Amino acid sequence: MAKKTTVQPALHKVIMVGSGGVGKSALTLQFMYDEFVEDYEPTKADSYRKKILLDGEEVQIDILDTAGQEDYAAIRDNYFRSGEGFLCIFSITEDESFQATQEFREQILRVKNDDQIPFLLVGNKCDLEEKRKVTLQEAQDRANKWGVPYVETSAKTREHVDKVFYDLMREIRARKKEENKTSNGRGKDKNKKKKLKCIIL
Amino acid sequence: MGPPPIVTGLSPNEGPPGTRIKIRGENLGKSPQDLVGLTICGVDSLLTAEWKSENKIIAISGPIKGKGDIIVTTRSGGVGSCNVTFKGYHIATIGPMKESAVWVEETELFTWGRHSLSPSSYQQEDPLGLSVEDAEKKIPEDDLLQFYPTRNGDITSNDFSAGWFLLENHQTTSFNDLHAGLVHLRRKVQGQKEGQLSFLKANIGAVMDQIDTLVNLKDRYEADLPKLGHEPTLKLEKAIKESEHEARKLFDEVLNRKDRAEKTRNALNVLTRFRFLFCLPCVIDRNIKKGDYDIVINDYIRVKNLFHKTDIPIFKAALNEIEKRITDLQTKLHQDLQNMPITVEQQKRLIRYLVNLESPFDAAWDAIKARSEYISKKFGLIHNYHKSLEKPDSKSKSGSASKYSKYNKSPNTEITIIPACVNFTDEICLSITETFPDLWKIGQSYFSGELQVKIEAGRQTEYKHMVMNVIETYCKYVRGSLIPNTLDKTERAQYGTLTLPERDEMALYLPELLHSVRSAYSTFIKLDLPSEALDLVNLVLLDLRIHCMSIMFQQTTEQIKQLTENWKINYTGKFTGVTELPLKFLNLIEDMMKAVKESVLSIEQREISLLENQMAQKEMEKQMNNMLIAFHNVLNNLSSSEDYDECENGTPVVSQLIGTPVSSHKTSSKSNIPIWEHRLLIILSNCLFTKITVLDMLVTKFKENGFPPLQTSLSSAKIKLEQLEKSILDKYLEQKSDPLVGTIEPSMYLGRFDWHLSIPPNDIRPYVKECINNLINVHSEIIHISPTLLNAVLPQVVETVAEELYRLMSCAQRFSREGAVQARADIIALQEFLEGYSTEKAQHYFKEAIEVVPPLDRTDEIIVEDILRQCRARMKIQVMCLRKA
Ligand SMILES: Nc1nc2c(ncn2[C@@H]2O[C@H](COP(=O)(O)OP(=O)(O)OP(=O)(O)O)[C@@H](O)[C@H]2O)c(=O)[nH]1
Ligand SMILES: [Mg+2]
Repeated sequence: MAKKTTVQPALHKVIMVGSGGVGKSALTLQFMYDEFVEDYEPTKADSYRKKILLDGEEVQIDILDTAGQEDYAAIRDNYFRSGEGFLCIFSITEDESFQATQEFREQILRVKNDDQIPFLLVGNKCDLEEKRKVTLQEAQDRANKWGVPYVETSAKTREHVDKVFYDLMREIRARKKEENKTSNGRGKDKNKKKKLKCIIL
Repeated sequence: MGPPPIVTGLSPNEGPPGTRIKIRGENLGKSPQDLVGLTICGVDSLLTAEWKSENKIIAISGPIKGKGDIIVTTRSGGVGSCNVTFKGYHIATIGPMKESAVWVEETELFTWGRHSLSPSSYQQEDPLGLSVEDAEKKIPEDDLLQFYPTRNGDITSNDFSAGWFLLENHQTTSFNDLHAGLVHLRRKVQGQKEGQLSFLKANIGAVMDQIDTLVNLKDRYEADLPKLGHEPTLKLEKAIKESEHEARKLFDEVLNRKDRAEKTRNALNVLTRFRFLFCLPCVIDRNIKKGDYDIVINDYIRVKNLFHKTDIPIFKAALNEIEKRITDLQTKLHQDLQNMPITVEQQKRLIRYLVNLESPFDAAWDAIKARSEYISKKFGLIHNYHKSLEKPDSKSKSGSASKYSKYNKSPNTEITIIPACVNFTDEICLSITETFPDLWKIGQSYFSGELQVKIEAGRQTEYKHMVMNVIETYCKYVRGSLIPNTLDKTERAQYGTLTLPERDEMALYLPELLHSVRSAYSTFIKLDLPSEALDLVNLVLLDLRIHCMSIMFQQTTEQIKQLTENWKINYTGKFTGVTELPLKFLNLIEDMMKAVKESVLSIEQREISLLENQMAQKEMEKQMNNMLIAFHNVLNNLSSSEDYDECENGTPVVSQLIGTPVSSHKTSSKSNIPIWEHRLLIILSNCLFTKITVLDMLVTKFKENGFPPLQTSLSSAKIKLEQLEKSILDKYLEQKSDPLVGTIEPSMYLGRFDWHLSIPPNDIRPYVKECINNLINVHSEIIHISPTLLNAVLPQVVETVAEELYRLMSCAQRFSREGAVQARADIIALQEFLEGYSTEKAQHYFKEAIEVVPPLDRTDEIIVEDILRQCRARMKIQVMCLRKA
């Protein structure tokens, strides 16, 4: 019953998180289709998947663009679970969205039960420098504290858009290789995670 | 075929039926037409698909449940693939069985039905706590159904089969993992109670609120119990039923009203439509009055479209009413169309109206016919008008004076009334240049299809006929009024009933008329008429030109005939010794040539040179001949009418006999007319001048003005003139030498002299002197008029003198010695003195005469010499006179 499973390139699942209106969808669409959407249309949950070349290796990227709006907060947990890497986005023009990253970080750690999960802190809308509310230092400090990279992007000018996705995928890939080395690790890990979760509960 | 479509993005990736999904990807079609298929989770959703770009389609999800692909099919790329999945679910995912701390909007729950309350349809946590595998690795449901018929993998179902579930979800999970999963599941089951507790803990606030509300509810209920009894719901139910009834009533009313409104609206619509029909007759009347035919046509077409199939009698009646008006309008337009005068543009417009109104008339053709008829009618009218004007005039003319008296009148008094035929021709030319182009234009429009009417067979020839007929009629009228002789008898009766004016009057107008016809002709040429028609006019023009030329020649001939001699000899200037007569003749011809050249010889468009036309040449030759003959006759008449001065000066011809010099001054005192001999000399001089100079000048003038040389007429004229010269000379000689010669004999025997008498001679005899004097007299007479005549006249006279002398000598019966000496001296003197003008014949006669005289001896000869010497000295002046210059 085994099917031709080997043919498919590696699949990396990326999840976009962050408050509403920070530009998650904008970044995703820019990355996927090189387009910039001017209008704001709140997302519920969008899926994207395509083949790309990552350092010469063909891989598939699966992007889950989640809802930033509070209305959909309840369904986040479910999504986070399937993620292998996270882009945590805020808008440098909105302090509130920066503050919210803290909550997202915690939620992810809680759901994934793994503080080494591939994760990038992304300060979006860097083209709106004149409206900046969040200083580079602030953001950098927070990233350092978490032990994750911080990148500033603009979905509008496409600055660093590819970089954040590729960097994250590299991390995911590295992470997977590492996991494969520790044989049978996966089940145990899961087990461990569950335990953790149970304890919290 | 292009690359197949591939779906790479969905927004959102899940949702209940009716979710608007943004589908993104590549090669999703080049245009809305290129997109030929779209299925969402196997459900055809092409109908709702909205193609935005090659990368984006928006579609609405159908009644789907569960995950599935979105497959796009394009004409250009075929059936596509899909990277992402869409999950359809029914809204009731968070039901009573599912824990939820947030408010769930339940209204939709009912609309989607209670039966689908299954919590599993929402993305469900794996019961074993393991990550769910990719869909691709799953065993198809059909296979599973084979293994486990009647069973399924739904954990909440009664028919749940663990095997199905494991095969479906954990086919590749390692045993260890499965084991761990089992432990997890057990713990989870165990922790269920714990879980409920923790759920309560987490939502304690909400739970407390709910309890408070319940308590509140209970209090209220209990408080209401006495008021409403044990079964408050009955009342409620009743109230609900009532309100439903009321609502229905209200709603029914609204519905009824709506129905009524709709009906009214429909009725109104129908009414407006019918109003249009019923008002149309009036509207049509109004618009016809205003001349807004376009609107009428529009309305008519509309009403016909709307009602032409109607069976309803009243509509039919209204339609009939309209039809009647339209028919009337058609008739009126059709009449207008043929009502001349009218411009071509107006006609075209009327034709368009008639065509649009689907009139039964052949409007375009009728318009053409009307035009052609109009032209012929106008021709007739013009003709009749001028004919009616002419009548009283022609009567007065017939009573007018003779030809000659007319000539003497100045032409100005003559043309106070312009002859009818001139006016007529002028007007008919003008008329055709005005009317014909329109006929031609509308014909062109008709045959070019511009008028949008069907062209019936045979129309082309009929039209051509029409055009030719018009042109022909025109030509015949022109011919009839100006050159009726070019028409045959019947035609002349029809077209040539206007009287022709006198030739001179005609000559006055002809160039003008020629110009009119020519301008009509150039109009035809500009219209690009077929050459067949143009040639007709061209022929008329040619005839007219020839006629015009002929008339001009005739007129000049007539003028030449009227030339008079004033007998004034021109002594100065270029032409001496002649009178004005030959120059007048020359001038007349010159003037005529100029006029002919200007009007007739000039070649305009499409005309041939008259010089190339044989008829014209012949005519010209003939007329030229007439002219020359006329002048010849003038000279001839002058030379023959001796009587003319008989009455004027009664002096007998013998005047010379007495030796009086020319009596010119005597006659001139009485009148300007010189005596007969002088007149003869003058005529002779003119004759010579004409022959030698004027005719040559004419030749150069002909050349200059582009006339043909007309050699034959000139040379015949020359011959005629020579003959005339001779006859004049004869006359003159007769007039001069007869008396002169006649005096010799009486003079010779004057004083009873005779040759046998012995009178010693000491001088030549007086008769010789008289003869010489007479000759000198003639000489001076000639030289007085024209020295050139000397050689022609004088020798003739001398000859007769010599002949007479010889005759007289041979008649002498006997010469005495003295007589012989005398005779010899006389003859020699004459011979010598007249030597300058002696012809050979004269010389001969002198010699003969000397021979008749008996020979002389030496002494006698010396006497003769003596006499001659003395004579020469004495008559020195006379001798000089007769010597040739
Ligand atoms: N100037 C500028 N505007 C941006 C940028 N990124 C996003 N926007 C705008 O910000 C608005 C919100 O962008 P989205 O990408 O829809 O935001 P989101 O994070 O997906 O929001 P939710 O879907 O509600 O979570 C849109 O109007 C975008 O045009 C950026 O880099 N620069
Ligand atoms: Mg979004």
